Amino acid sequence: MRKYLLKRIFYLFLTLFIVATATFFLMKLMPGTPLQNEAKLTASEKASILAQYGLDKPVWLQYLVYIGGIFKGSLGLSFQFSDQAVSYLIGSRMGPSMQLGGQAMVVGVVFGIILGAIGAIRKDTWADRLATVVSILGIAVPSFVLAILLQYYLGLKLSLFPVAGWEGFAYTVLPTLALAASPLAETARFIRTDMVDVLSSDYIELAKAKGLSKFGIVYHHALRNSLIPMVTLIGPLAAALMTGSMVVENIFSVPGIGEQFVKSILVNDYPTIMGVTIFYSALLCLLLLLTDIVYGIIDPRIRLSGNGD
Amino acid sequence: MNLKTAAKVTVVAGASLLFLAACGSKSNSSSTSSKQTATITESAELPTMDLSKSTDVVSSNMLNNTNEGLYRLGKDSKITPGIAKSTTVSKDGKTYTFTLRKNAKWSNGEKVTAKDFVYGWQRTVNPKTASQYAYLYSGIKNADQIVAGKKPVSTLGIKADGDYKLTVTLDKPISYFKKLMGFVNFFPQNEKAVKQYGSKYGTTSSAMVYNGPYKMTGWKGTNLTWTLQKNKDYWDAKNVKMSSLKFQVVKDASTGLNLFNSNKVDDITLSGTQVKSYKNNKNFIARKSASTFYVEFNQNDSNKALAKAFKNKKIRQALSMAISRKQFVNDVLADGSTAAKGYVSSDLAKSPTNKKDFADDAYVASGVEYNMTKARKLLNEGLKEVGESSLNIKLLSDDTDGGKKSTEYLQGQWQKLSSKIKVTNQNVPFKTRLQRSQNGDFDTVISAWNADFTDPISFLSLFTSDNSYNNGRYNSAAYDTAVNNAEGKDANDTTTRWNDMVTAEKQLMTDQGIAPIYQKTEAHLMRTNLKGIIYNTAGSQYNYKYMYVK
Repeated sequence: MRKYLLKRIFYLFLTLFIVATATFFLMKLMPGTPLQNEAKLTASEKASILAQYGLDKPVWLQYLVYIGGIFKGSLGLSFQFSDQAVSYLIGSRMGPSMQLGGQAMVVGVVFGIILGAIGAIRKDTWADRLATVVSILGIAVPSFVLAILLQYYLGLKLSLFPVAGWEGFAYTVLPTLALAASPLAETARFIRTDMVDVLSSDYIELAKAKGLSKFGIVYHHALRNSLIPMVTLIGPLAAALMTGSMVVENIFSVPGIGEQFVKSILVNDYPTIMGVTIFYSALLCLLLLLTDIVYGIIDPRIRLSGNGD
Repeated sequence: MNLKTAAKVTVVAGASLLFLAACGSKSNSSSTSSKQTATITESAELPTMDLSKSTDVVSSNMLNNTNEGLYRLGKDSKITPGIAKSTTVSKDGKTYTFTLRKNAKWSNGEKVTAKDFVYGWQRTVNPKTASQYAYLYSGIKNADQIVAGKKPVSTLGIKADGDYKLTVTLDKPISYFKKLMGFVNFFPQNEKAVKQYGSKYGTTSSAMVYNGPYKMTGWKGTNLTWTLQKNKDYWDAKNVKMSSLKFQVVKDASTGLNLFNSNKVDDITLSGTQVKSYKNNKNFIARKSASTFYVEFNQNDSNKALAKAFKNKKIRQALSMAISRKQFVNDVLADGSTAAKGYVSSDLAKSPTNKKDFADDAYVASGVEYNMTKARKLLNEGLKEVGESSLNIKLLSDDTDGGKKSTEYLQGQWQKLSSKIKVTNQNVPFKTRLQRSQNGDFDTVISAWNADFTDPISFLSLFTSDNSYNNGRYNSAAYDTAVNNAEGKDANDTTTRWNDMVTAEKQLMTDQGIAPIYQKTEAHLMRTNLKGIIYNTAGSQYNYKYMYVK
């Protein structure tokens, strides 16, 4: 296990290194400069400002400087937020995205499991059909459409929740719901399919024959076994949610990272592009690693090291 | 517990959670209160509060209201009192002597002195600061050489004579010099604060000092809300009526509208589709900005046939006359923008003699006329003159909504003009468009120019034959002379200078050096009880000093 972990962590850093390198050189292919007032500067003014930032040096040298900076623990300074450290930018913007993602994840997965389980147990009844309709809607309706509807009806018309902003828990409810729809639907569909399989297997028949309560069977035997494959789903789902949804964050004026990333690309904010990319990649790699580890723990049939030690 | 109960429990728990959360949200309708507070939305983040580094609209508005320079710009960019109490200008217009008021204070308790101006200015032109607005200092003695790194910052033409006397020396007279002083990059900076906060200076509302009508609180550097609070130490605090002004960044137009309709905010920007339905709302206002969108024809096109064609005045005129500006702004763009009257935007500057708006004074009807019949005639004559039978034109623009609407409309109009014209649209990201424009890598391009300050020269200096931003290489000796006179020999004579600029604009329009399309206008919904906001089309646009809630 230890050997496996070390190997995986080594691969993680290798992946990050490759991602950073590829991003750096691709980014340098983008036309233009990171200067905000570019439209009004003459060529010589531009050149002298770029020289101050070391952007006049050959790309390979800039690359070495950047990688050197990372080893010293610095992600550089942002261009669009003048002089703001990228690590601070990511840090302060990441919080709201993580919180929303986390909440949406919990709401989505919990209600998804319930919905899926109901569907499986009440297979081919109205409850099942309702659950199916809900999950199809959850997948088919884009989060931003849901966000707009929630904002208009629950925010403006019924005044149940704040329309937009970020000043306390109440402000997180609508964006959480908008983001939760898709994981809810995915989880529900997944759990339903899986549980229908499990419920028809022999050991469930045995449990029934032994006279266990219906809840006991579902909770102890069916649901647990259906949850194992869920772990594979949760890793990427969590990564997708926690890295922020640009559109939902925009609609609810949430100071998250999702939109920031897109904007940093549009304005050639090199240090921010690099910082956020590396951060995203690290997060995704970590989640995948965690998924694998958790998988090994909950399902003893899976051996992480591959040779049974 | 069976499954049914479990489901019920979950539903009830979920519902009550939502209910509880709903109770947590206080409703604070700001518009109904008689308190002197208001909430204004901004459509972009605040990137910096560093006076030397501000380049965008949001930071320049915030700095203009939390800090103050020699003057404060009032309505129609009129000079109103700032830190300077009195000013004397030498006869040749090259030396300005300012006497500063003694009761101006920084929020850290220090007095605002002449040294703060010297320090702030030197900091901005210092190449190490990498200010992107240092070019505005051009004309102040030695500024260009300092920015280029050829002279030390100490040689800049600004000198403190004791604490309250400031002398500025210019290389050449600048007739709009006083207006420039209302621009945030010319405001004083407190050396003690800059040194104290070091690399953090201006990156949060607490790592900054203020000497203006308001102090900023609650800006952590990247968040989407902040507040301007009345600055009790401001020298003219008795004339500041607002106790606080909250700002909320809202990027989605429908969110803005929902916030406005639920009384959470008092001023929002409308999108194109919203303008149509709110045009007659009592809260509707249109704010013109000094920003003109125009077509440039590449007279130096690598495609020799096109270069020849675009050098022909009749062909340029034909292409311009095929554009119905009115139809475009009203039916296609429909975001409140107005048809261009010429290159220099409307509501920018008024004539010193007859008070006429520059755009009216220098109006050339043919420059923005829509006349398909005349256009066809001109095109056929032009094509004959250059010996071409057809034109295959690429039209470059941004990949924004406005950019796409513009290229689609122009493509339609030009192809309607004649079957001899074929237009291919190229919508690219802003940075790509800029680079291709500067490299001359285009046939025709839709460009935009925003004036830095409210003087026509901020537009007109662009199309002299040697200007690097004259992408289409329009070339007119008469235009060059008129602009150079306005900037040089006539700089001290307001009337003659104005006439020079009118001559330049008329020349550009008669030649159809470019084809202006529209002037950018921002449509707002603002509550009618907000009064006293001063808005200018260029520079630091908003001045909230005299604002109040009625």
